[in-house]
Amino acid sequence: MRRRGRRRSHIRDRHTPLRMTSMMDILTVLLLFLLKSFVVEGEVITPVPGVQLPESSSETTPQSAVVIAIFDDNIMIDSELIASISNENAEADLLIAALADRLDEALEKSLLIAERRGEDPDAFEGQIAIQGDRQIEFEILQRVMYTCNASGYENISLAVVGTS
Amino acid sequence: MRRRNRRGYRQFIESDLEIMPLMNLFVALIPMLLISAVFVNVTVIDMKLPTDTSDAQAVSNTQKALNLAVTIRDDHFVVEGRKLRKQVVARKAENADSQLSEILVGIKQQYPDNEEIMIISQSRTLYEDIILVMDVSRESGMGSVSLLGEPGEQKGQE
Repeated sequence: MRRRGRRRSHIRDRHTPLRMTSMMDILTVLLLFLLKSFVVEGEVITPVPGVQLPESSSETTPQSAVVIAIFDDNIMIDSELIASISNENAEADLLIAALADRLDEALEKSLLIAERRGEDPDAFEGQIAIQGDRQIEFEILQRVMYTCNASGYENISLAVVGTS
Repeated sequence: MRRRNRRGYRQFIESDLEIMPLMNLFVALIPMLLISAVFVNVTVIDMKLPTDTSDAQAVSNTQKALNLAVTIRDDHFVVEGRKLRKQVVARKAENADSQLSEILVGIKQQYPDNEEIMIISQSRTLYEDIILVMDVSRESGMGSVSLLGEPGEQKGQE
């Protein structure tokens, strides 16, 4: 009886190292998973909350651009709500006035920056990334693209979720 | 003899792998990768809108071109073009996109030079359906996509 007690206390006192094996397993799996999802090339587009992008097999990587998000009938530029299609006069013209104003401002700013840097303003290529919800209708997309073209932005990228 | 064995056992326990440097590396690497990880793989479909000059070219080219067009209606896709038989694919069919793909691949084999395709949508056509048809036509080898509204107004060109 006495002997057993002494023995147990002896075990308790002995220095036991932390068991790291299971933790190392987790960390190794996590490291491999994160390395797999690591992206080095191209600009990363963060989807605007509330916008469900359609799926596509396209593999083109995005470039830096002015981001226009469209969902339901709302239009956002750089996460700021600027127009609601239902408030605009749909019959009169395809142009969305509020969007055109903002795009003109952005264009002026970009040209000014290009000028200050000593770049040729004619070489400027207006780049727009449209993040459209999968449920929006062609009518809205058409009006947004028309407005972009009218404001001098000719290169349009449609953001999609890659399936590959 | 018994005692000696015991000592040998203890020596075996005490020689542990030194994994602390590896842990340090992991602790630094994992937050870095977590910050830069991309969980939603967002890609883009590039389009180029027509400028005044390309518009003029487009008009001059229409005389010779195939004028291949896919019209997205509520319940079917219509594939038509100059010198082509009009073909209809019901959208309710499970393999509607592969049927459409087969038709477009057939046209591509017949006219290998043709890169252009027009996608004619109605104002109520959903964005995801347009993207689907764009995918099918790109995979069939026709990379230059134009988006048109049903009344015949041209808006975009890839």
